[in-house]
Amino acid sequence: MRRFIESKMRKRLRLAFLMLALLFAALVVKLFQVQIIRNPELTEKAMENWDRELPFAGVRGEILDRSGRKIIGNKVAPTLYFMPSQNRDIPAAAAALAPLIGADKSRLEEQMSKRASIIKLAPEGKNIPYDTAIQIGRLGIPGLYTGVDYVRDYPYGNMLSRLVGFTGYDNQGLAGIEYEYEKVLTGKGEKIRMFTDARGNPLPHVGDGWIRGKAGANIELTIDLRIQEIVERELSQAMLKYDADQALAIVMDPGTGEILALASAPNFDPSDYASVDPSIYNRNLPVWMTFEPGSTFKIITLASALEEGVVNLKEDSFFDPGHVTVGGARLRCWKREGHGPQTFLEVVENSCNPGFIELGRRVGPDKLTEYIRNFGFGSTTGSGIAGEASGILFSKEAYGPVEHATTSFGQGISVTPIQQAQAVAAAVNGGRLMQPYIVKRIVDPETGKEIERSEPVVKRQVISEEASGKVREALESVVANGSGRNAFTDGLRVGGKTGTAQKVEEGRYKDGDYIVSFIGFAPADDPDILVYVAVDGPENEVQFGGVISAPMVGRIISDIAPLRGIEPRDGQMEREYRWGDPVQIRVPDLTGRSRDELVKMFHTIRIEWNGPPEGQVIRQLPAPGTMMEESGIIHLYAGPAD
Amino acid sequence: MHALEKRLVAVFFISAVALSLLGVAFVHSAGSYWGEIHYGDSLPFAAKQGIYLAVSATAAVFILKTRQIGNPKLWTAVYIASVLLLAAVLIPGIGAVRNGSQSWIALGPFSLQPAEFAKIAVIGKLASMMSERRGRKVFSPGHFVVILLPAALIMLQPDFGSMMIMVVSAFAILLVGGYPLKFFFGLAGAGAAGIAGLIAAAPYRLDRIKAYLDPWSDPLGTGFQAIQSLMATGPAGLTGFGYGQSRQKFLYLPEPQNDFIFAIIAEETGFIGAVAVIALFFLLAASAIGLAARQREPLSFYMISGMAAMLGFQSFLNIGVVSGLLPVTGVTLPFISYGGSSLLAAWIAAALVLRFASGAGMAKRRPGDGQSYRH
Repeated sequence: MRRFIESKMRKRLRLAFLMLALLFAALVVKLFQVQIIRNPELTEKAMENWDRELPFAGVRGEILDRSGRKIIGNKVAPTLYFMPSQNRDIPAAAAALAPLIGADKSRLEEQMSKRASIIKLAPEGKNIPYDTAIQIGRLGIPGLYTGVDYVRDYPYGNMLSRLVGFTGYDNQGLAGIEYEYEKVLTGKGEKIRMFTDARGNPLPHVGDGWIRGKAGANIELTIDLRIQEIVERELSQAMLKYDADQALAIVMDPGTGEILALASAPNFDPSDYASVDPSIYNRNLPVWMTFEPGSTFKIITLASALEEGVVNLKEDSFFDPGHVTVGGARLRCWKREGHGPQTFLEVVENSCNPGFIELGRRVGPDKLTEYIRNFGFGSTTGSGIAGEASGILFSKEAYGPVEHATTSFGQGISVTPIQQAQAVAAAVNGGRLMQPYIVKRIVDPETGKEIERSEPVVKRQVISEEASGKVREALESVVANGSGRNAFTDGLRVGGKTGTAQKVEEGRYKDGDYIVSFIGFAPADDPDILVYVAVDGPENEVQFGGVISAPMVGRIISDIAPLRGIEPRDGQMEREYRWGDPVQIRVPDLTGRSRDELVKMFHTIRIEWNGPPEGQVIRQLPAPGTMMEESGIIHLYAGPAD
Repeated sequence: MHALEKRLVAVFFISAVALSLLGVAFVHSAGSYWGEIHYGDSLPFAAKQGIYLAVSATAAVFILKTRQIGNPKLWTAVYIASVLLLAAVLIPGIGAVRNGSQSWIALGPFSLQPAEFAKIAVIGKLASMMSERRGRKVFSPGHFVVILLPAALIMLQPDFGSMMIMVVSAFAILLVGGYPLKFFFGLAGAGAAGIAGLIAAAPYRLDRIKAYLDPWSDPLGTGFQAIQSLMATGPAGLTGFGYGQSRQKFLYLPEPQNDFIFAIIAEETGFIGAVAVIALFFLLAASAIGLAARQREPLSFYMISGMAAMLGFQSFLNIGVVSGLLPVTGVTLPFISYGGSSLLAAWIAAALVLRFASGAGMAKRRPGDGQSYRH
């Protein structure tokens, strides 16, 4: 019997082949869809599935002073992470860990049992002390990892806190420089990408990925920490001594606009900001506060009058009866009985209100307004400090003769301390309005490369060099002979001006509540530093700038001078003696003298002898050539005679 | 034998050998970690697979030498033996349960999966029956008895995948044997209705379908394997991560050396490698079909067609599951997946194709007369 394959069967076989080809083509199409088209989506999902990353916090940039001294740094405060899949006895692990980090055992166990590949044990396990981390490491709990993390470190405690601000729970900047420069300071965290199997077991033969981060950039401020320390010391002493509400100070390089110190009192603890009133940490007083400047503003009127050439300080004279009537309003001098006949230099020395009204009148209302705006009032300085206010000037419509007159001696307007510092710096530095600035440069800590550098910015020439020279001379005279006498510092040629302003509350002057200020600079022949101090609401003493603020500025300048390399110089205006002033004498050079010699030489000065009686003086305090009160003591230190 | 036939034989053989070697290589890559974790002390999977390959080769040589391979009585005996084994596997104490199915018979250190061999037995028995039919009438209830008895036994394990492969290969023989097309359309309609009925009867099957359409609807349950498979193939892209560089094999994808080994191949060699492996399977099945078409003896024709259908459909089913084209069904990838039964069955099928292509179908009636059919 013959068998054969029918042609129908071969056709069927072809049909079968066609079906097979179609099925296999479908496979290829499906794989193309999965592997090529859905590749990005599935890659992302797979990465999530594989993700076993142990994050290391990014190092936040440091904040340094102008010479690289650390104001704010970082300290290691590790954070704990837990991978549940690597631990077979989570209750035991939680029980061991809980007391060390002060967590509730059952709550911690619940947290550690979460179905996740990696769990951050916050809040108790976040930013734990380094020693605790070491202790926990010794427990050897499987699946527990210590991630490097940081918190801010404040080597100077509360210092500068209102300027630099603070960081929050996740080390993010919340106030001050920390907030403003958040982007610059923030570091990108490093990560260890651990390669594990599905159960979380590490695979030792597969290389773990190290994902590099980037440390945040360091910010170098123009602040000089040594000067800041001096200034903050003065402010806190003043706060105590006068029971003041608050106080502030600015130290600036008038030639460049660099801010060397910027202080507010009271300060706060940046590591405990949560317990601080936001009105403290949100208000950086030297830029935030606006108040009536009082007499310090007279420097602007003076500078304008000198630039306009409408007064000769030494030749022109003025009679002050104690008041002047302008536009029907009677404006009084601070001295009720008046200063009587004076030269205009004496007007400046005495801070005589009617005299300054006259100077303002001579300049003219429009011109004076123009000068005031040119000196930078009415707008923010562009210092780049967070929370800066712009102050309030009279609007054009409201600016009548009375307003013109009060503006001339610093009343009726509202300015910020930094605006005053900026303006006075221009008045004494040769007339150039310098933009104040706080950030010197931004540096990449890894490469040391400069990312950004601030250069002094001249905004405009407000008055001439010549007029500026006259302002300096007049202001030196104020300190030597006038209302600023308490700021006098021998040999440093301090110039300056007092200011006392009544505080305004709800549009009315508040009785008995003053802001007393002093703005000074030195040396008057070539100003290197400008110091502004204001004390708000001093209670215990006579409330005049000349009494409270001027000595503070004097002490600050004398302490700063050696740091800035300011040598005592010749040619100063000698201080005029007034009744009641302690008599000042120049200290003689006593080195090399024996005790017997001295007994014969001096009758009026008290001497304290230290060392062997037969010896001779090798050191003395105060130093020869300095000034001291006549009633003071010269301390002598003797060594053996030659 | 025509030169073309020789070439087809060569293509078929080389494809089978290449797939087997790829199998050993990828069983090594995919299974090392899994094996180390789960069976740390025993021989690595790849070494065992090598042994299985040697055993399979021996079996293949034995088949190529067997003279009585075309004897219908032999196939009846083989068929009865497999049905008995399929029945035996269901008896507690003989059959072992793995992954929820009672599919294994333990023989000392080895275990045997009767369904793998039942597929071949059914194809052989059916091919033998079809070749012996007389007259023009094709349809015979006996065919269905032969198919449905082992199919029912396999579904009792249950092993849906093996059942599908067996039924599809058997119906492929009926198709090429000239069963009316209406019958197949009817079958398709009945199948659809049956599936609808099964879903209506047990709503959990709907979840399976949902998981198939969107595995992420139940990522840790029904969708788990599909997702883990997609996470291997998807990220690989065009060129893959390189041999040995799979990530999913680290316990993410369960038993990566078995049913889902193609996912690891796709992960390590990318779309290009995956398509290359598909091409090898296509060459294997297509060359077998080519050989079938050139047979003059009905037995050889049916036998080769059946084996081609089995190898082709099984590889399609496996890769379809791995790529997400089909719902998850546990089927091994012939020649490649780890496992003695699977590899041995694949090589028995391959050896039968080679044996019948060289004229075994005549052996029974005209011993030594194969020459007259060669040209």
